[in-house]
Amino acid sequence: MEPAGILLTAAVVGLFAGAPLALLDRRAGYAAGIAGSVLLLMVSVIALAGGTVQGIAWSGPLGDPESLRLDGLSAFFALAASIVWITTSTFSIAYDDRSSSVLAICYSVTLGSIALLVASSSFLLFLVGWELMTLASYGMILQAQGPSGRIFSAAFVFLAFGEASTLLVFIAVAGLRAASGTFLEVPVALAGPLATVVFVAGLVGFGLKMGVAPFHISEWLPIAHSSAPSNASAVLSSTLTLAGAYGLFRILTVLPPLPLWSGTVVLGIGAASALLGALFAAVSEHTKGLPAYSTIENNGLILVALGVALVARSEGLTDLFVFALFAAFYQALAHAVAKTALFLAAGYVERSAHTLDLTSLAGRAKPAAPAAALGTLATTLSLAAAPPLAGFVSEWMVLEALFQSYRFSPEWVQFVGLLAGAAVALAAGLIVVAMVKLLGFSILWKPRASAPGQRPIGLAGPIGAVGAVIVGFGVGAPWLLRFLTPSVAAFAGTSVVAPVGGLLSVPNGWSILSGAPFGILSPPMIPLVLGAGALVALGYFGLGRRRGARRVEPWMAGSPSGREGETYTSFGYSTGIRIMIDSVLRTREVRTHVGAVTRAELATPVAYNVDLEVLDVFKLFYDHLVDLGAGLSHLLKTAVMPGRLGRYLAYILAVTLLVVIYVALVA
Amino acid sequence: MIVVPSWIQRAVERGIVTSRYPDRAATADEVPATGRGPCPPHGSEGLRPGAGDCPVEAISPDGVDQGRCIRCARCLPAGFAFSGPVEASVAVRAELISPTLVPAASRRESAPLRPLGCSLHVFLVDVGSCNACNLEVMALANPYYDVSRLGVFFTNSPRHADVLLVVGVPTPEMVEPLKRAFEAMPDPKAVVAVGACPISGGAFAGTPGLAAGLSELIPVDRFVPGCPPPPVAVIDAIVALGGRARAPEEG
Amino acid sequence: MHDPGERALAYAAEDGSFALYNDYRSGKAVLVPVAADPSSSELATLWRTHSGPERPHSLAPAPRVEGYGVFTFPYGPISMGVPESGKFDVRTYGERILGLVPVGGFKSRRIRESVVGLDVRDAALRIERMAGNVSASHAAAFLAAAESAAGREVATVELWIRGLAQELQRIYNHVHVLARIAEAASQNVGLAQSHALAEELLRLQGATFGHRWLFGALLPGGPARALDAPGRATVAREAVRLSREFDQLWALFLESRTFIDRIQTTGPVRRDDAIRWGAVGPTLRACGVDWDDRLRVPTVPYTDLFVSLPREDGGDALARLSVRAEEVRASFLLVEQMLDRWPAAVATVGPAAPPVAPHRGVARVEAPSGDLVYDVRLDGDRVAGLGFRSPSQANWALFARGMRDAVFTDFHFAFESFGLLFAETDG
Repeated sequence: MEPAGILLTAAVVGLFAGAPLALLDRRAGYAAGIAGSVLLLMVSVIALAGGTVQGIAWSGPLGDPESLRLDGLSAFFALAASIVWITTSTFSIAYDDRSSSVLAICYSVTLGSIALLVASSSFLLFLVGWELMTLASYGMILQAQGPSGRIFSAAFVFLAFGEASTLLVFIAVAGLRAASGTFLEVPVALAGPLATVVFVAGLVGFGLKMGVAPFHISEWLPIAHSSAPSNASAVLSSTLTLAGAYGLFRILTVLPPLPLWSGTVVLGIGAASALLGALFAAVSEHTKGLPAYSTIENNGLILVALGVALVARSEGLTDLFVFALFAAFYQALAHAVAKTALFLAAGYVERSAHTLDLTSLAGRAKPAAPAAALGTLATTLSLAAAPPLAGFVSEWMVLEALFQSYRFSPEWVQFVGLLAGAAVALAAGLIVVAMVKLLGFSILWKPRASAPGQRPIGLAGPIGAVGAVIVGFGVGAPWLLRFLTPSVAAFAGTSVVAPVGGLLSVPNGWSILSGAPFGILSPPMIPLVLGAGALVALGYFGLGRRRGARRVEPWMAGSPSGREGETYTSFGYSTGIRIMIDSVLRTREVRTHVGAVTRAELATPVAYNVDLEVLDVFKLFYDHLVDLGAGLSHLLKTAVMPGRLGRYLAYILAVTLLVVIYVALVA
Repeated sequence: MIVVPSWIQRAVERGIVTSRYPDRAATADEVPATGRGPCPPHGSEGLRPGAGDCPVEAISPDGVDQGRCIRCARCLPAGFAFSGPVEASVAVRAELISPTLVPAASRRESAPLRPLGCSLHVFLVDVGSCNACNLEVMALANPYYDVSRLGVFFTNSPRHADVLLVVGVPTPEMVEPLKRAFEAMPDPKAVVAVGACPISGGAFAGTPGLAAGLSELIPVDRFVPGCPPPPVAVIDAIVALGGRARAPEEG
Repeated sequence: MHDPGERALAYAAEDGSFALYNDYRSGKAVLVPVAADPSSSELATLWRTHSGPERPHSLAPAPRVEGYGVFTFPYGPISMGVPESGKFDVRTYGERILGLVPVGGFKSRRIRESVVGLDVRDAALRIERMAGNVSASHAAAFLAAAESAAGREVATVELWIRGLAQELQRIYNHVHVLARIAEAASQNVGLAQSHALAEELLRLQGATFGHRWLFGALLPGGPARALDAPGRATVAREAVRLSREFDQLWALFLESRTFIDRIQTTGPVRRDDAIRWGAVGPTLRACGVDWDDRLRVPTVPYTDLFVSLPREDGGDALARLSVRAEEVRASFLLVEQMLDRWPAAVATVGPAAPPVAPHRGVARVEAPSGDLVYDVRLDGDRVAGLGFRSPSQANWALFARGMRDAVFTDFHFAFESFGLLFAETDG
């Protein structure tokens, strides 16, 4: 085995080794996680730079050859995941202060299983990793704090959707095996109905894990309703969804090129998820629920880019195909990294203010450490697509890909592209509201003098590090895209060229081209130009002039500012959206009268309590489904198994009679 | 049955009614009788007996204090018609007290806020007015005066304002909000006291609890006498701060 | 549960010696020796807070609303949307007004206390500057109350001048309300044209009475008035012209669907709430109640003129504005009648009503926003005590109630349609 292969094996083993180590000392377990992630990062860089890395090989239970290997596609996802895990593991060392090590054990198993499924060379190993990931994550969610009934039901929802996902992936893998006779992840020649079955099973199965509409409840409910520990939420939202994306991409590489409708379906689902996710994020008040909805939106964007790529491939538009693929990959990377910081920041704020509710949070947290504040600032702005950050580049690329949907030939596909573009643009606007809300009411709000607690230690560094990475990924986007070329090539099955170049006096390789001559963006130039302008302004005005600035209170129409209870709450900030889009959000006001209601008394006016509620309509569907299932099983129970001895005796008698008759007839 | 023309027809039929002040002198319609000066000097013939019984003590041996005068006309002979020029604004309080009014040409000019005459943003604060001055200032936006032609705009926030127009006599409850508004304005800024109330307390001078004038609270750059001053006098104050030339004197 | 019937409190003296009621069923004003029933004493207490001594103070009872994300949004006291200085504490969860408490007292110039000891002439100078845009109503009511307290006779022509002044100011105020609502609706052409009409009315008042805001115009020794025969002919001519302009303007506004949409169902007031809370003026008449002081407690010159009573039933801002538009037409007709029948200078007439107590007079006029009551006690020629209830004081509570469950953008339409003035509330 080559040295890189040893590293790969060591990485996966190291990640799993965190579990037994955690039994001894929690922090050792997390340290193993850091070590394993660093190794994985190194190997994925080697794989991207130098070609497929083969790790340890053995013979599987069914006689199939199994091995660990990182090809271009796996290397990309391993790279993204390892960056996330380094920061979350570092965060966990200071964050996990429980007495039991269950969280740390489950954490390590989750990491190891995701690494396993990404590095697997056969779908059997993939399935093993997939199921292990689901179970370990279930264990992590159970470690939440709060009313136990709620935690169990939220974790159970997660498990239920996770098993459904496994089942569907199993069907897809079985179909592939039936066609090719092997579990290996190599392109398979499938035709017609079987290909459709595999595709749909794969799309739905992996879509469940990614949390796209209409299965997005699997993403937000466990996180928002159970308040799982923050390191767990970060891993769940960033890397589990990344694993789902990997699975989908992998299935698409082994399937032959599919007809036009498949790409369009992916495009439609992605756009719907993006819009729904952004809408619910904008009206969410939960420090973790809001990022969970944002994950739904971002995964939707990944699917949008993928959909455009698939349609472009069916249409033979190779340059758009390649560009859209790069957009999908870049979006996945930017999201995974940025989302991590948001959950870590939620954990930071939770430690500082002991609440996860944005409305009651304002001012309760002590001033955040600069690293935490800047890291949160960078990542929320990245998710809100502000230049020159990574999220901005990926959003630009997705929108540019959508703009070129006019090049599709059938009108209905163009129409879907048009609607998807509108949905994505609307989602981009709504997510800005959500991110500003999150940033403003958590980290940036001026703390009250009475803010309790202390500044948490050891939690700020990882957040700041992620922020720095996001800035780097944004500014260095052209070079990063070139680095990721092997991943895209692995998906496309042919050699590709990264869409970077130079135009309009920007040096070659410093700009991203969305199609010549369609669009061009140069992320490195943005900070350069802004910086140069700032220097000029600074030189002209001089640093000394700034001392002439005067600090005054904010203007509140002449009233004193910042009085408690007299400032806009986080809830009030998005009520406009709740009221305007009430048809989708099913907004309703619940009013309960409190105290005496005497209309004749002038001086004792009515007192009441009012709550404005929104609702995810898709949850209603699942609630009905659950009711149906429960009703059916209740029916079965009362009809077939009522628990009466007489009935069971009658069953025994009937079966005995049937056997006697059968034997008599046959004999 | 009324024949109703459309909005456009109405506008065309009425034509342009906008004043040309300060490029041309104010017309008789634009300045009501009580907006003209000067009051006859103290001791001159024709003053009503008991003229020393001015309700706001504007008349004294030193002369007539225009900043106190509330235009009740009690001191004047029956049928006295003002015919002097517009009682325009001044930069120095003392210039409002004189045996005779200081002619416009020799009054002290305000330092304009900007070196070149340019647009000014105005923020109006009512610290305790009867609404007459309030409405006269708000009348500046109507088609008859239309100060936007002079580059003067009303803002909704002191943060965007250059000039603070204060109407009314400062009540104790409005002292803090007024100071907040003044603090919120970025430099360079100017304050204009519109009407007799902020200059000297006006008709309410001497009421215990009320400030004797706006100058006790914030520095004032321009004083516009009157109760209320005609809108053209307010225009005069604002354009003086904006560095524009003032109207030529009338006869 | 107390049933108010059709009787509403109009004024309760501070020393509790008497109270005035309007009986809407019989159309009569009733003066009773003491403040009679409990709910009206609560109303009287609320109105009393408007005169201090605690400032600032709330002008309507505050509903208690709690809930997730509910907070108080302090709007004011210096907000450019509201022309005067006053504060509104809005209880909201964002966008929707769950409860509104107007807070006044910011503009209190302590007029009530400071006129004590002044002679009537000097006091009148301050009273007319209580609220400059309704100066004629305040001055007329105060002078009538003082004349009633002193038992003094007044020249008929002075009373007719007071009537003419009040009608012209009524027209100005109603046109101004229309302009403010047009501004809130961003109908800038309508705003400009109604604002221009208001300016022309001011200029007419300035030319006729010597002062645009009629300061001193109703007092002896005031600015020069131009009410001789040629002057009156000018006023008549101008009135005809301006009346036609207003008719055109109002017809054009009514054609605008968006304009009507903004004021329909905005700030609704129910009839029994209006009676229970003592609403006055166009607010009351827009709820279908027939009360106008010029008809029900008429004084010279209204005793000799035909006064119509515009009335609507909707109770919303559209109804109030429609009542105002009809009143403008009615006022132009009144002006025409007055100028036609102008009395000779020599006739005198006694005070309108006998004093309610020795040296104590009460007078009521219909100001543009509604019934205005003045209660003056004299000591010789000097004011010994002053009480008043302005129409704004009575209507604040209806405004606060009408704003429940409205959205933020409805605020200005409702506020302007009630014609509320902080200046005459704070005193």
